[in-house]
Amino acid sequence: MLIVVGIVLILLALLGAPLFAVIGAAVLLNFWLEGTNLTVVPLEIYSLAEMPVLLAIPLFTFAGYLLAESGAPQRLVRITNVFFGWMPGGLAAVSLAICAMFTAFTGASGVTIVALGGLLYPALKQAGYPERYSLGLVTTSGSIGLLFAPSLPLILYGVVAQQLNVGRAVSISDLFLAGILPGVLIVVMLAVYGLWQRRGVVQARTPFSMREALGALRAAAWELPLPFVVLGGIYSGFFAVSEAAAVTAIYVFIVEVLIHREIRFTALPKLMRESMVLVGAILIVLGMSLASTNYLLDAEIPSRLLGYIRSHVHSALGFLLLLNLFLLALGMMLDIFSALVIMVPLILPIAVGYDINPVHLGIIFLANMEIAYLMPPMGMNLFIAMYRFDRPMLEIFRAVLPFVAILATAVLIITYWPGLSLALIRH
Amino acid sequence: MTPRHLPPAIARLINIITWTENVLLIFMLALMVLLAATQILLRNFAHTSIDGADDLLRLLVLWVAFLGAVAASREGKHIHVDAVARWLPGRAKPLVNALTDLFTVGVCAMLAWESVRYVLASHVSGEMAFGRLPVWVAAIILPMAFVLIGLRYLLRLYHHARQALGMEGLE
Repeated sequence: MLIVVGIVLILLALLGAPLFAVIGAAVLLNFWLEGTNLTVVPLEIYSLAEMPVLLAIPLFTFAGYLLAESGAPQRLVRITNVFFGWMPGGLAAVSLAICAMFTAFTGASGVTIVALGGLLYPALKQAGYPERYSLGLVTTSGSIGLLFAPSLPLILYGVVAQQLNVGRAVSISDLFLAGILPGVLIVVMLAVYGLWQRRGVVQARTPFSMREALGALRAAAWELPLPFVVLGGIYSGFFAVSEAAAVTAIYVFIVEVLIHREIRFTALPKLMRESMVLVGAILIVLGMSLASTNYLLDAEIPSRLLGYIRSHVHSALGFLLLLNLFLLALGMMLDIFSALVIMVPLILPIAVGYDINPVHLGIIFLANMEIAYLMPPMGMNLFIAMYRFDRPMLEIFRAVLPFVAILATAVLIITYWPGLSLALIRH
Repeated sequence: MTPRHLPPAIARLINIITWTENVLLIFMLALMVLLAATQILLRNFAHTSIDGADDLLRLLVLWVAFLGAVAASREGKHIHVDAVARWLPGRAKPLVNALTDLFTVGVCAMLAWESVRYVLASHVSGEMAFGRLPVWVAAIILPMAFVLIGLRYLLRLYHHARQALGMEGLE
């Protein structure tokens, strides 16, 4: 009977029922079977109001929407072109770095493809990069950067992990530090590939012009300090994450709305609403999953799963390999936020059972999701790129394949070399 | 989803509700940004802070999130898997949509009911969220939001069912 209900719920989820309703139904049913008072469900949801760090989510999202809507992407691309366009492979390398930074700030990978991809794609082709490479790069652009502060998935992983009390502290600032080297590894590997793509191309590169450089710098003068203030503030410990989010939101608002005046006051309500639609969609799933986590822990499901998996998989390495495959499949079906809130409560206790550091697990989880976004045939970024660049699906598949291969190599390195993630964390 | 094929009185009511939801959401987000920024300025430059502002900010997150979730229901933007539904042909799509809408309405009704019980219970216990703000006032967004989300999905169900029956054009 229970299995039938479970299958029906999974079927409904696959047919497109909102995930909050599917999780909500499962939680209500399980608590009801246990004979628990069902008001525990709203009580758990209400605990969303008791987590200070969640404040960062609406504030960073709002700032990200403002940035994407303003002329900031154009100014970033202009600066990149001036300073790095003349270097061999420079444009590709810096496009990657910019996309990573932009994704980290806006949190949603689709925004990067739409806002920056459209600008970088023609620029890359003009600079003599092969068509296929350029298309692959801008499609991939949406997934790199999840590992850099202050990306929402990193924050959300920290929030969910803290709920679990696995016996080891999982602080969000540790996660921010842990993401740096793996994130840099991914960007560097992709940049080297870009350099290799340009081999043998002899083409008059844009010469460096002092005047254009000064002009580009002046145009972006207000946006340039932002990453330094925010990242510097977070990494140095001067700001808490939610404070950095507040500074970002108000700063971006002042710069884009009051100084550059690229977003009209009349356009603000729509933009505010749209950004909060994303926040609402994420947090309602998180609210439901707080209740379901409570049930899972009560019923000792993670420890039973651990026992089962342990009897089949003996080494941590074996477990990690399985985890990689599982996350890849999962990431094609679910977006990153629901994958995080649904799977972390199950996976984290098992991983700790294999003596895997929770911070390292978070980095592995997100790195896998970066590939899953791109994985043919169902990765989300493929569809966004298909619409944005108006290219047939098969062409996009072909274009991203080398990128998927490089990312997969990077993920294997990240997975089996914990030191890369943990080196920067002071103990 | 804009109201179509509905009696004018209901359509007008829906417009009023939509407007109220939007105003409330935008006001609360604006308050959140300003309050959070003011708090940091005060803390770092004046070494003081507004009493209760941190508690209020945390509560605003809950309200903004649920008002955002209500807006997401309006636009069909809740997180869902569309790997299967994307490829459904013609009429099958609104039919499947109607099925998942019906399910969502049912779950929202139960969540709304349990939230009402939770709010009533905290009214009786007289528990305070912070300062002089009772929990039942702070938590009243939960039943409100689940009722509104449920109603939106009821409306979607109506349209999807009509589409499946061929009484309305496909989206």
